[in-house]
Amino acid sequence: MMCLTGEEPESTLGENEARHGTEQDAELDAAFTVLLEDSAEELYESAPCGYLSTMLDGTIAKINATLLDWLGLRREAVVARMRFADLLTVGGKLYHETHFAPLLRMRGELHGIALEMTTAGGGRLPVLVSSVIKHGSEGEPLLVRTTVFDASDRRAYEQELLRRRHEAEQARAEAEQARAEAERARAEAERARRQAEADRAELADALAALQQALVPTSLPVVPGLETAVHYHTASPVRLGGDFYDLFRLDERRWAFFLGDVSGKGPQAAAVTSLTRYTLRAAALLDPEPATALTTLNAVLHERYAADGDPRYCTAIVGIAEPAADPGCITIRLASGGHPPALLLRADGQTDFLPTPGGMLVGALPTAVFTTAETTLAPGDTMLLYTDGLTEARTGPRRDSLYGEAALRAFAADLAPAGPQQAINALTGLLTSFGDGLDDDTALLALGVPALGSQTRPTPDGT
Amino acid sequence: MFPLQITRRDSATGPVLYVTGDLDHHYAPVLRDQVERLDVKAGQCLVIDLAGLEFCDSSGITALLAARQFAQAAGADFALAAVPDNTLRILTIVGLHRIFTIHPGSNAV
Amino acid sequence: MAAMDVRRRNNITITGRADGPVVVLAHGFGCDQNMWRLTVPALAREHRVVLFDYVGCGGSDLSAWSRQRYSSLEGYARDVAEVCEGLDLERVTFVGHSVSAMVGVLAAQLVPDRIGALVMVAPSPCYIDEDGYRGGFTAADIDELLVSLESNYLGWSSAMAPVIMGNPERPKLGQELTNSFCATDPDIARVFARTTFLSDSRNDLKSVTVPTLVLECSQDVIAPREVGAYVHAAIPSSRLVTLAATGHCPQLSAPEATSQAVLDFLSALR
Repeated sequence: MMCLTGEEPESTLGENEARHGTEQDAELDAAFTVLLEDSAEELYESAPCGYLSTMLDGTIAKINATLLDWLGLRREAVVARMRFADLLTVGGKLYHETHFAPLLRMRGELHGIALEMTTAGGGRLPVLVSSVIKHGSEGEPLLVRTTVFDASDRRAYEQELLRRRHEAEQARAEAEQARAEAERARAEAERARRQAEADRAELADALAALQQALVPTSLPVVPGLETAVHYHTASPVRLGGDFYDLFRLDERRWAFFLGDVSGKGPQAAAVTSLTRYTLRAAALLDPEPATALTTLNAVLHERYAADGDPRYCTAIVGIAEPAADPGCITIRLASGGHPPALLLRADGQTDFLPTPGGMLVGALPTAVFTTAETTLAPGDTMLLYTDGLTEARTGPRRDSLYGEAALRAFAADLAPAGPQQAINALTGLLTSFGDGLDDDTALLALGVPALGSQTRPTPDGT
Repeated sequence: MFPLQITRRDSATGPVLYVTGDLDHHYAPVLRDQVERLDVKAGQCLVIDLAGLEFCDSSGITALLAARQFAQAAGADFALAAVPDNTLRILTIVGLHRIFTIHPGSNAV
Repeated sequence: MAAMDVRRRNNITITGRADGPVVVLAHGFGCDQNMWRLTVPALAREHRVVLFDYVGCGGSDLSAWSRQRYSSLEGYARDVAEVCEGLDLERVTFVGHSVSAMVGVLAAQLVPDRIGALVMVAPSPCYIDEDGYRGGFTAADIDELLVSLESNYLGWSSAMAPVIMGNPERPKLGQELTNSFCATDPDIARVFARTTFLSDSRNDLKSVTVPTLVLECSQDVIAPREVGAYVHAAIPSSRLVTLAATGHCPQLSAPEATSQAVLDFLSALR
């Protein structure tokens, strides 16, 4: 705009036009002149920013009206009386002395430094300060020129940003804490799970040890006799109410038994244990099967019936010894309320060995037991079983019982069959019952190997 | 599977329990519990009617034995009525048919 | 600490006459060894001049900084001791500006054999007025400075936005600040400020037995003349020289007078 005032009219214009143009220019000039009363001095004093000039020691030599107005100070109170640092807050003074002044000395200029000034009314004015050292012709520093911008809005914005950053940091810290807590909880759960697994494993070991007290892990090898067993427990902890055993009495005789204790699970297993060791001890003292059962009856009745909690069992106890006929085995047995043994003869004939009227063992103060005797010739097999087999539920609706007749028919189809062959077949039968078999089941087969049979005795503890 | 139901009727000679459904290890404790709450007097006869019995395993037999013992302790008699064939067969197998007094017909009215 | 390690950690610069008496120049709060730029040439003519930055400042290894160590002046004194030991310096003249003057007093307690004389430039053993002592500031003034620093805006505006926006390039930012502005990480600066302005080392002054020059300015907001007189009175082996200089940094505002005063003191030592 300054250059407009010095512009010459276009020389190519006609006189009138030129004169007319000159008048117009004069009006414009007048308007500009009014505007340009905004002299350099006026501009300095009323500029929209603060100006001040200081001596090298900070003494204020010149300050504009804008800054005086912002600070509420009178010129005569400031010029030559105050230093730049005096305009600052105490924090600002310290910052000025430790940062601003040294840097200005070293660099000759500084831009956009944030400071706070104090106003006459005691308020604070956030400002952005830029300073330049003016040098003399020899390069020696003469004075410092400083501009001051009101940074209230910017500082408020920064404060807001800071506040938000603190909030975000806090939220992040809280999220991190929550995550850490969740992680701790997860680790705790994992420890608990491992502990539970360890406890379960320990319990399983204990149960396995207890289970070995109920049934033998394997059967001994009996000369001239082949044996096979199958043991199924309905209980998930494999503590059953069925039991069996086979053990030597002397050089010639072997005792065996198989039975079923009332009830299921751990409670039944406690009775099973008592029953097994009572029968073992009784058979060793007196090898008459019925006597062993009588002893057991007295023990169980004394132990449980008096408490109003009758526990009893059914059992077949037997003695096997070589018969007069070479290669044959004589079996004498006694039954206490137990389903009859099944005989699979070498010629295919299949019959129960009836023991009717033998009473439950332990249910009553006195009980009578039924005895029976048979001889196993080569190829003959005797099967003992518990009622888990005969009372398995069959049919599509699981509403009928397998029964003794069906068992006899199954065995008749099987015979002649050695002990292991019979047990294998019956195991398959049990599997076929599926969920119809919900009781413990024990199977024990004793047989004399058929003549010319290559089958060797195979003790089997499964 | 048939859930056990027990109903009671007090007759002149003593209480009669009518048992229907399965008397197995699951339900046998229910019968034992019912029996133990009965008020049976000396000289009476506790009767358990098994006409509706579908199934009886060793737990059921235990419950029947316990009921018999309970009645005897009170100085009362004990009898089973209308024992189904399969249960009678089991009772026979285990020799209890000689122990229990068994009425052939049902006491049901 | 191995010599190379301490050289790198404290950004040590060695200049001047290799066989001359050793002068160690230590900067105060707010800047780094560049503070001595205008005085080094005069000192270096006859002396071996050792410059360094405290850990956390200037070109030092910021990873060596720990809040615990540098929350007391003794942490800074250990920097001085380790610089002397690392370079195997003996009987040096330690020139400390502002808070470093007191750091030098503590360093002389740590390694008495290595520090033979002290020059205390604009020293103050305690900045807060208390029980007749005039430090120049009230506790509230110092609180205001600390609040100002801790609210992280004082002088940091131009650097604020990237910091606030969570600029992950903190080292780069720090580097930029160091280059463009005599400043360090604002967290470190806050700790240094708190350590400096809340310290009270008045009781340590009487431990000084080496020849000492107290160099004060005639107009110093941070270390008023009463404080210079107090320090001089507390150290019997001291001389007090008042420079006709304004501000807290005579080595910048009056470099010739400052270096001349130091040289006069050094020559008197011989």
